[in-house]
Amino acid sequence: MTKLKLTLFIAFQLFYLNAKSQDILVEAESFIDKGGWVVDPQFVEQMGSPYLMAHGMGVPVSNAATKVNFQEKGTYYVWARTKNWVPGNWEAPGQFKIIVNGKTLKNTLGVTTGWSWEYAGKVKINSNDVNIQLLDLTGFNGRCDAIYFSKSKKIPTDAETNLASWRKTKFGETTVPKKQKTYDLVITGGGLAGCAAAISAAEQGLHVALIHDRPVLGGNASEEIRVHTLGIYGKFKRILKMIDTKHYPNGSFEAKYDQEKRDRNVKNFKNIDLFLNWRAYDAKAKNNIITHVDARHTTTGERIRFTAPRFVDSTGDGWIGFWAGAKFSYGRESASTYGEAWDEWGELWSPEKADNFVMGSSVLWQNKKTNKAHAFPQLPWASSVAKDHKAIAGEWYWEFSRNDLHQINDAEEIRDHMLRAIFGSFANAKKMEENKNYKLQWVSYLVGKRESRRLLGDYIYTFNDVKKHTKFKDAVVEEVREVDVHYQRNLKDGKQPDFLSEAIFYETEKYYIPYRSLYSKNIKNLFMAGRNFSCSHVGLGGPRVMLTTGQMGAAVGLAATICKKYGVNPREVYTNYLQEYLNLIEKQQ
Amino acid sequence: MFFNMNDEWKNIAKEKTIFKFLVASLDTTYNIKIAHDVKLLLDTKDTPKLFFSDIETPVCADGECKLANIKVYWNLLGNYVGYGIDSQLPLTKFEHDPFEKADYKKLHQLLLDDNSILKRRQMSDLIDEVPTANANQLLENVDAVSGATKREVKEAVVKGGLYSCYTIWHIVHGEVKQKISAYFRSIHSEKLNNYLLNSPYKDYQLYAIKQLDKEKFEASSAQVIKIFKTNDAVTRHYILKKIPNKLLSNKIISNQLYSLFSSIDINSRTLLIEKLKDANLNAVKILSKYVTYMTKNQLKQYLKYLKGTSKKTRRSIKSNLIKASNHKSYAYNYLIKEFLKNKK
Ligand SMILES: Cc1cc2nc3c(=O)[nH]c(=O)nc-3n(C[C@H](O)[C@H](O)[C@H](O)COP(=O)(O)OP(=O)(O)OC[C@H]3O[C@@H](n4cnc5c(N)ncnc54)[C@H](O)[C@@H]3O)c2cc1C
Repeated sequence: MTKLKLTLFIAFQLFYLNAKSQDILVEAESFIDKGGWVVDPQFVEQMGSPYLMAHGMGVPVSNAATKVNFQEKGTYYVWARTKNWVPGNWEAPGQFKIIVNGKTLKNTLGVTTGWSWEYAGKVKINSNDVNIQLLDLTGFNGRCDAIYFSKSKKIPTDAETNLASWRKTKFGETTVPKKQKTYDLVITGGGLAGCAAAISAAEQGLHVALIHDRPVLGGNASEEIRVHTLGIYGKFKRILKMIDTKHYPNGSFEAKYDQEKRDRNVKNFKNIDLFLNWRAYDAKAKNNIITHVDARHTTTGERIRFTAPRFVDSTGDGWIGFWAGAKFSYGRESASTYGEAWDEWGELWSPEKADNFVMGSSVLWQNKKTNKAHAFPQLPWASSVAKDHKAIAGEWYWEFSRNDLHQINDAEEIRDHMLRAIFGSFANAKKMEENKNYKLQWVSYLVGKRESRRLLGDYIYTFNDVKKHTKFKDAVVEEVREVDVHYQRNLKDGKQPDFLSEAIFYETEKYYIPYRSLYSKNIKNLFMAGRNFSCSHVGLGGPRVMLTTGQMGAAVGLAATICKKYGVNPREVYTNYLQEYLNLIEKQQ
Repeated sequence: MFFNMNDEWKNIAKEKTIFKFLVASLDTTYNIKIAHDVKLLLDTKDTPKLFFSDIETPVCADGECKLANIKVYWNLLGNYVGYGIDSQLPLTKFEHDPFEKADYKKLHQLLLDDNSILKRRQMSDLIDEVPTANANQLLENVDAVSGATKREVKEAVVKGGLYSCYTIWHIVHGEVKQKISAYFRSIHSEKLNNYLLNSPYKDYQLYAIKQLDKEKFEASSAQVIKIFKTNDAVTRHYILKKIPNKLLSNKIISNQLYSLFSSIDINSRTLLIEKLKDANLNAVKILSKYVTYMTKNQLKQYLKYLKGTSKKTRRSIKSNLIKASNHKSYAYNYLIKEFLKNKK
């Protein structure tokens, strides 16, 4: 379900009031002061909108607050769109309350299964300026998507509040966003791949837009997720040095320093327009040519249409390609599809028959050892996942994948499962005397992904290209790091927790990735760089590390400059200008 | 003697030397390769049982080498299953201390782990200090790749016996494994496959099922279902993907498989639900008893499937659905309620 945005609220309200004058809807993510709540825009495609979450790691967070202008005074019934994120035979972990003009509404929220409207209570509004606050009660990820004030007692139904269609009729959202911007290249997704693409294209003089849904750059390498970059620099050392990380442990607070470096370096480019906290929500193609990408600000709801002759999809999840109708794959191919079987690992490596397994997603976390004892509660809702597993910190192998869960469509459930694994395992560890001085210092709320959609290019990169070290004539990325493909430990041993994985490593000498795997097979003006490049499931095993994906980005940025120079599409760089392109890459060292 | 099978090693009547394998010495000063013999051990009926090698190898530390003697057993697929030590020739640790009982046991555990952390490490990586950022005192566990955290290695090996452990692990899990499996493929027969299929060993069972064609799969269905019950998730998935539709639509087979729903792993349950379209109609009824075991997506898929079935079928399982929808601790009971409401 989708709803309207607060920034547009005043304008919207007029229309809305016409329709149903006693109703007011407030998007939580557009609260003016978020307090200790965080904006979670990760699941917009499933939920319809970002939401606010009280990610306090066990300590209730400070109130979020906002002001809303009410045209009519009187008694209002109040609902919040929320959910109990761990329904079961226990106290719901994410409880919160709503405060209106200083009055705390009666009902505790965050207690019903599945996203729905929960009744908060009624309130008398005597002034036009109304102050609304969210009061977190648990510190354990209570979530509020929107608040709805109505003079009618009737619980809002999904049909009434399905603002996706409402918005369309009232505000013409299907028509062009008011603001439009045109660039030489529009890149979506600011992970290492997206950043490198932006830099390399900008260095060649292209006017570039980089749309990224987070406040900081780097994707999994960012201080918000804290994975360190691995792989080699290939021909792009200078560029990748601007955005890479040192080799601190995953989850280390040191990610912060590399974050500053990365953001500073990208911002230094005058011809990169950085759209931080903007999430692309649509892309349209006509005759297999993308005409525009539409994006929305994650808190204000403002929209922009980006037009360009060429686009880069570095969203990891292949969103731009998906929306534009690019061919893609998901899951594991059968071993015979590309001949990727490896006897030693059999079904765990490449199955005889294709299936929906993929490498999972992770939530990293970290503790702090202090001089005094810290209590941590026992959490029945978490221990049902953690069981008796004990841990005081996480690592890369805290990873979750299951064949009924889609890494994109079910990402919220995956993230929540990891939160339960983390809180439960930490609670178990805290029972031990030796851990009494540990404090839970940091748990990411962003899910770090390894694998989801893979867009199909003119060439599909596979494990065989690693094994054979295929030296393509259009090789633009090179790597020596071993290939590793993950599986969940519980597949082999049912007693293992379901949130831990194991890596299968394949040692290799140098291998190469061809340019033909970096542009779409059927969408003529779409490049892809990052883990959504054109490869098989096993083929992703090596090149998904971030310096390799960074090389892809840099290579694509340069290809875009050749495209611009001759007014051609990505494929023609291969068919007509390959030598010139390779020379340009050679000059980057 | 440590051994992870029943008593295969006892009933050996014959042995045949079948090949040699070469192992490069870890001692980099002498770049030598040592050859070891591998024997096939057979019982009185000439059935191959085990592969065996009596290994003598230098274990070097700080330029000083000692010989280690160890008798290694692999099963027919080349998987390590056990070892024995001559009591006169104990393994030694740092400063030539002999292994203790617990050390031998730990070595066995290490050798059983075919994906040990030692696999991807050069010996030199293990002795040098692993540089780790000082982000957290207790957390030297860098990721898999920077990987061998000293702690992880320490946990895997015998204290003071890193060199022996490392050397032996790499011998046991080196090229010999491929050679064994290649050799085994060359002598593989239907009779042997039956032996594997009916053995109590998980790796044998999966291997044997992989060799079955449609007809043989059907002929062995009783054993296959037995394996389905007891083997791990990987094997279960394999069976469910491979099972011929004709067999799955057989009422007895289908009943047997679907009745296991509540006792098997989640991923296999998903596959069972996905397979409903090929299964006997009765399966959808059986599953109605187990809806409260389903995850949200499994339930959604099950209900979707149900929608497409005949009214009669739906009627017959309605009472189970109502029961599940009233099940207080089942988090997704609201989805069943919605489903039932829409059906009215
Ligand atoms: C726990 C973990 C450990 C790992 N270990 C390592 C390691 O040690 N070293 C290593 O190099 N790699 C490691 N990897 C793999 C690596 O991090 C990923 O494969 C890599 O980040 C993929 O890069 P990317 O640029 O394609 O995607 P990402 O890094 O995911 O970046 C894509 C970005 O796009 C943004 N985005 C998505 N959709 C939109 C949209 N619609 N609009 C705007 N923005 C959008 C996302 O917020 C995201 O930040 C690890 C991964 C995990 C999860």
